Amino acid sequence: MTAIEKDPVVEPAAVEAPRGRLAGLAPYATALRAAGGLLTVVGAYLPWATFVLNDGPYPEKATLEFFTAPLGVSGFRLHLLVFGIAAIVLAFVPAVPARGRILRALGWGVVAVSVVNGMYITTQGGGFGAITAADGAVAFGAIVALIGGAVLLVGAFAGGLEGHARWGRPLGRFVEWALLLVIYALLLLLVAAVLTSGGQGSVANPYSGAVFLSFLGALGGLLAALHSAGVVTWVTGMSERHRAYSAIVLLAVALLLPLTAAGTQYWMTVAANIGVYAATAIGLNIVVGLAGLLDLGYVAFLGIGAVVAANFSGATAARFDIVLPFPLVMVISAVVAGIFGAIVGSPTLRVRGDYLAIVTLAFGEIFVRSSQNNIGGLTGGSNAIPGIPPVTAFGQPFNESLTIGSVELPAGALYYFLIVVIVAAVMAVFGNLKNSRLGRAWIAIREDEDAARAMGIRTGPVKILAFMIGATLAGLAGAFFAHKTGTVSYESFRFLESVTLLAAVILGGMGTIPGAVLGASILFVLPEKLREFADYRLLIFGIALVLIMRFRPQGLVPDAHRRAELAPQSEPPPPDGSTGPAAAKVAAS
Amino acid sequence: MSGKHAAPEAPRAAIGQSILSAEGVTMQFGGLRALNDVSFGLSEGEIIGLIGPNGAGKTTFFNCLTGLYAPTSGSVALRGTPLPQDPAKVTDRGIARTFQNIRLFPSMTAEENVLVGRHVRMKQGPLSSLLHGPAFKRSEAEARSRTAELLEFVGLSRFSDELARNLPYGDQRRLEIARALATEPSVLLLDEPTAGMNAQETEATRQLIFKIRDLGTSVVVIEHDTKFIFTLCDRVLVLVQGELLVEGTPDEVRGDPRVVEAYLGAPPDEVEHQIHAAEETP
Repeated sequence: MTAIEKDPVVEPAAVEAPRGRLAGLAPYATALRAAGGLLTVVGAYLPWATFVLNDGPYPEKATLEFFTAPLGVSGFRLHLLVFGIAAIVLAFVPAVPARGRILRALGWGVVAVSVVNGMYITTQGGGFGAITAADGAVAFGAIVALIGGAVLLVGAFAGGLEGHARWGRPLGRFVEWALLLVIYALLLLLVAAVLTSGGQGSVANPYSGAVFLSFLGALGGLLAALHSAGVVTWVTGMSERHRAYSAIVLLAVALLLPLTAAGTQYWMTVAANIGVYAATAIGLNIVVGLAGLLDLGYVAFLGIGAVVAANFSGATAARFDIVLPFPLVMVISAVVAGIFGAIVGSPTLRVRGDYLAIVTLAFGEIFVRSSQNNIGGLTGGSNAIPGIPPVTAFGQPFNESLTIGSVELPAGALYYFLIVVIVAAVMAVFGNLKNSRLGRAWIAIREDEDAARAMGIRTGPVKILAFMIGATLAGLAGAFFAHKTGTVSYESFRFLESVTLLAAVILGGMGTIPGAVLGASILFVLPEKLREFADYRLLIFGIALVLIMRFRPQGLVPDAHRRAELAPQSEPPPPDGSTGPAAAKVAAS
Repeated sequence: MSGKHAAPEAPRAAIGQSILSAEGVTMQFGGLRALNDVSFGLSEGEIIGLIGPNGAGKTTFFNCLTGLYAPTSGSVALRGTPLPQDPAKVTDRGIARTFQNIRLFPSMTAEENVLVGRHVRMKQGPLSSLLHGPAFKRSEAEARSRTAELLEFVGLSRFSDELARNLPYGDQRRLEIARALATEPSVLLLDEPTAGMNAQETEATRQLIFKIRDLGTSVVVIEHDTKFIFTLCDRVLVLVQGELLVEGTPDEVRGDPRVVEAYLGAPPDEVEHQIHAAEETP
C-alpha cells in the first residue's frame, strides 16, 4: 500500500434551521457567538472569589491574589480562556464545518466549568457574596463566564446547527499508523491528566474534587467539540481500519502509564482498582449488554473469585493449608465462579425479565449473608480474610517498587501491569465472542427471544453460557482483587457494588468494550476524587446518572447506532411517507 | 393493471411427495378451542394458502406447526417423522417462519439479522467463537457470503449495514423472509407477508415467493388478500373458527358457496361481487 497523503475531504452537511423562539435571533447569531466568547475570556481574567475561603485560597489564583500575576491564567481559567478565544475565532470564520455544533459544545463546556467552580466557591464561602462583591472586593469571574457560556449557547442555536462534519477518504496505511500512534500517545497523557487532576483529595488539598469536576467539564466540552468537528468519528474509523495495530499500540500505551504524572503509588492503586471493576464490568456487559439479562447480584462472582483465591493464598485465616501459584489460583477462581454462574443462570430457563432480576438479586444477597456468617469457614465472616500475601514473581513482590536500569517503577506498578493484561484478555474474550455465532445469538435473544428461538437458537443453554462466561471473567478479576487488596471481606461485594457495576455498564453504553471501561472508570474514580463531598457523593452521583439517562440513554459510547452513523449514507427511504422508518415503527408496534 | 401484471404466474413447479403433514391438530386454550381437528398435507414444491377471518386460528396453526405451541391433541410430522415441541429444534429440522407483526432484531443490521438465521447451519462451538481460529474464519466467511447472496436474492443488498429498525416497512418484511431462508428450510411459513404493502410491493412479494418455491422450498402463506392468495397458491385452505372448512384449488375455493357465506360473513351477492372483482384485476 502506498502512503499518499490526501487532504481529508469534508462532505457538506445540511444546516438544521434554528427552531422556535431562537429563530428571531438568527441575524444576530455571529454577534452573539462573538460576545459569548468575549465574555468568557473576560470571565477568565476576572477574580473568582472575593475572599480567601476557610480552606485556603481557591486554586488557579482565582481569589484576590490573582492581582499579583494578572495575566498568568492557569487551570480552569486557562480552559475558559482557550474556549473563549476559540469561540470568537469560530464566530467569524465561516468555512468551518459543523460550526454551530462546535460552538454549542464549547458553550456547554464554559457553562459546566463556571457552574462547578462558582457553586463550589459559593457553598464554601457561605453565599453569593463569595462570587460577587463582599467587603469592598469584587469577583464576578464565575458570573461573567456563566453569562458568556449562556450567550454562546444562544448564539450557537440561533445560527442553526449543521450535521456532524464527516471526513471522507482514508489516508495511506503508514500515515494512518503514525497518526494513530500520536493520537494514542495524546490519549495516554489525557488519561494521566484526568487521573491526577485536582490531585489526591485530602485535608491538605481541599479543592481536589472541584478541580477534578471542572476539568471533566472542560474535557467534556472539548470532546463534544471534537466530535462535532468529525474528529472523533474520523479517529474511530481509522482505528477500526487498523484494529490489530490499534489493539497492540493501546496495550503498549496503557503499560506506559506508570511513567507519566500518574506514576505514583496512589494513582497506581487507583488505576488497578479501576482495572478490577473494568474487567468485571466487561463480564457483566456480556450478561446485560449482549444477552439482555438483568443481573443484580453480579458482584457476588467477583466475591467468589476473591474468596477462592484467598483460601489458596496461604493467609492464616485461609481454610486450606495449600499455597498454589497465582496463575493456577486465577484459573481455579474463574472456574468456580463460572460454575456458580451456571447455577445462577439456570433459572433463566423458566424465568424472564423482572423475575430473573429478583432471582439474581437474591443470589447476591445469599452470597453476602453466607459470607458474613462464615458458612463453611470459607470467608472469615466479619473478621474477613486478612493478610493475603502479595503476588510474587521471580522473588519480586508485586506491591513493591522496582527499578529496572534507570527507570524506577512506583510501588503498585506491577499490579497495574498485571491488571492491564487481565483487562486486555477480558476485552479480547468479549470482542471475539461478540462477533461470533454465540455473540449474535445473545444479541438476538436480547432483541426478541421468541424470534431467536424461531431462528433455531436454543435459548436455554445460550443464556446459561452468558451467565457462565460473565461469571468466569468476574472470578478472574476477583482472584487479582484478593491479592492486591490483601483482605477479602464480604463488605466489598454488597448490593451497592452490583448496582454500581450495572450503572457503569449502562452509563458507558451497553454492549461495548470502551463503554464498560469508561463507565467503570467514571464510577470508581468519582468517589475517589469526591472524598470531600463524602456526604453528597451519592447524591451528586445519582443526579448525574439521572441526567445522563435523560439526555443520552444509549450511554456514552453507544453500540450499533454508531456503526450506522459511520456507514456511508444509504439512499433515503422512498418519498412515499407511509413506508418511512417512522411509519414502520408505528406499524411494528 | 398493466400487461406485465396480467401475465400468468410463473409456471408451477412439479409437485412432489408429501413433506409436511398435520393430523387432527386440536389446540385448546382454557375454554377456547382455537383449532379443532385440523389436518393437512404439504407436498414438495407446493404453495399452500391459508385464509380465514380474523381469529380463525391461522396463526395458532402456524405456532403448532413450528413447535411454539404444543397441540392439545394431534400430531405434526416432517417427512414422516414427528416434530419436536421446541421451535429451535423444528427450525433445525427445516421449517422456518416469518411473523405477522414483524419480529426482526431491530438493533441489529440487516446483515446480522440474516447471520442469526445461519445459526443452525453454522458449525462454530463456543471455544471456536472464543479463539477465532482458521475454522472459525472459514465458517464466518461462508456465512457472510451466504448472507450476501440472500440479501441480493430479496433485493436488500444496499441495506446490508442498515439497522433493521430503520428499513422501510416492506423491506422489513422481505428481510424477515431472507432471515428465514438463511436457515435453509424445506418448508417456509409466511404469516401475512404482504400486510401493509402497496400493489407493487405485493406483486414483488408474489414473484419472490415463486422464486423461493423454484429453489425447492415448499411454502405455506397466511394472507387476507384473496386476490394475492388465489393467484399465488396451488391449493387453498379455508379455516373458520378453528375448523378446516374447505380445501381445494383456488378455483374450487373461489366457487364454493360455503366460503362465500362463512368466510367473509357478508351477504353472498356482495361477496360474489368482491371475489369476481378480485379475479378480474390481476
